[in-house]
Amino acid sequence: MDTAIDIVLKLIAITVAFTVVLLIVAYTVLAERRVLGFIQGRLGPNRVGYGGVLQPFADLLKFILKEDIVPDKSTRFIYFLAPVIATMAALMTMIVYPFGPDITIPFTNITIPLTIARFDVGLLYVLGITSIGVYGIALAGWSSNNKYSLMGGLRASAQMISYELALGLSLIGVIMIAGTLDLGQIVENQSAWHGLRWYIIFQPLGFIIYLIAAIAETNRVPFDLPEAETELVAGFHTEYSAMKFALFFLAEYINMFTVSMLATTLFFGGWNVPFIDAFLARGSFLYGLISAIGFIVKVCVFLFFYIWIRGTLPRFRFDQLMNFGWKFLLPLALFNIFLTATLIYLFPNL
Amino acid sequence: MLALLFILFAGLAIGCGLAVVAQRNPLYSAISLIGVFISLACLYVMLAAPFIAAVQVIVYAGAIMVLVVFVIMLLNVEQEERGRPRLKFLVPVAVALSAVLIAEVAFILVSVQEFRVNPIANPSDVGLTHSIGAQLFTRYLLPFEITSILLLMAIVGAMTLARRGGLLSPNARVIPGAQVLPMSLVDPHAEPDDLRPVEAETSDEAARVMGITDQSKRD
Repeated sequence: MDTAIDIVLKLIAITVAFTVVLLIVAYTVLAERRVLGFIQGRLGPNRVGYGGVLQPFADLLKFILKEDIVPDKSTRFIYFLAPVIATMAALMTMIVYPFGPDITIPFTNITIPLTIARFDVGLLYVLGITSIGVYGIALAGWSSNNKYSLMGGLRASAQMISYELALGLSLIGVIMIAGTLDLGQIVENQSAWHGLRWYIIFQPLGFIIYLIAAIAETNRVPFDLPEAETELVAGFHTEYSAMKFALFFLAEYINMFTVSMLATTLFFGGWNVPFIDAFLARGSFLYGLISAIGFIVKVCVFLFFYIWIRGTLPRFRFDQLMNFGWKFLLPLALFNIFLTATLIYLFPNL
Repeated sequence: MLALLFILFAGLAIGCGLAVVAQRNPLYSAISLIGVFISLACLYVMLAAPFIAAVQVIVYAGAIMVLVVFVIMLLNVEQEERGRPRLKFLVPVAVALSAVLIAEVAFILVSVQEFRVNPIANPSDVGLTHSIGAQLFTRYLLPFEITSILLLMAIVGAMTLARRGGLLSPNARVIPGAQVLPMSLVDPHAEPDDLRPVEAETSDEAARVMGITDQSKRD
């Protein structure tokens, strides 16, 4: 009986978390269009609802109602499978992030964690599922039976495999300091110094490498070569229309959201809001609520940073991208590991 | 509950494994193999070994199979023609080997039934990251280091094999996605199917990289 209740509780938690995250993702798209409009000296979508707040739903409706065109000579099964893999892999990483500390619901004795699942290898789980996401793009490019799609798919997967290395290595410094792969524990470790013992203080180099690699990993400007519209039409999703295209679109923005969550969790203290412990007791409901909101705010700052970058930087060339990843970022990440190990050895008590 | 999950993932693993062999299209086989790896990872999680499960997904499903899929996509292998007599003699060998494998599994099954050990009450921490790391860097340090040397040798070997034969001049760089020029484009006397991957902006530069400096050959 207990397992049944557990499963139901987990299902509720998953539903709530996914709804919140998908809403934020939907509004990220709107925010991106509005912020880009501001950066480029124009308005952006502001007609649907007050200031455009209903635009995401209008877009969704459009995607659902559009005709779904399947190319004649596509490999049909894989063509349908690819957007599913992309979206599923993007969504699945969501379950390990600690959105907040354990909270006690008021007037009851029930304590619930604000994490859907917590396990020993949370960080490795994130990396593993992220690496599965490559298949969605690679298979989409291949199965469309279109040269542009194939080139886009190959580029995307080459880029993602290359930058995954730098991304993974840039996190090892944090793991060495934290001494665990459990994301919940990593956040707990950062709650010293009134919630300001953020790992960015110890890992500035690792953070910069992570930030760059994460942008490349999500195929965003300035690393958006897989869908460079001037050369590849739309890259791997050239032949996708209607809801299947929307799934790729969704996966890209969820990925943006998850790498922002990972950056927040590992480098910016997760749900730790500075100096909140002076006013509220740990474990109280308000404490948990403010922490969770703090987490979301930090993630949104990262999302804004992404959009800002997109409005600012031009696109790389592909050989520049590969050279940068393999010959600069990867050695730098290795150096960061070496540096961290040396510093831990010299100052073991810090 | 656990038994149900075990049946689900074991069934998936076996089904995908059969599909790897049965599929005609190599890409479908590769995708089935990814399915096998992921089902195995789920089984590892059920055996209280989350670290092995995560590594299984990252290394096999996430890295090695991506490269395999990549190669299949790049070569664009067509569906294997039905009933080619090539390698027919391997069929009895395969049957014999699988018989040996099944015998082994049966033997293990029987001996496990005989020497039944009561399962411990608490899940052990053997599969956790901390204990694996501690064992790997103390008791099994030598095999661990030897493995890394083996991997280094493999990398160096791959590089040497890829560069052998003097196809490219030492300062030539080959980058994924760079231009691939047919030799006949820069050298009219070359074989028409002589493809040499060279990164070059112009034909002149390609000719220089390929070592064709004789201007008389080029008109």
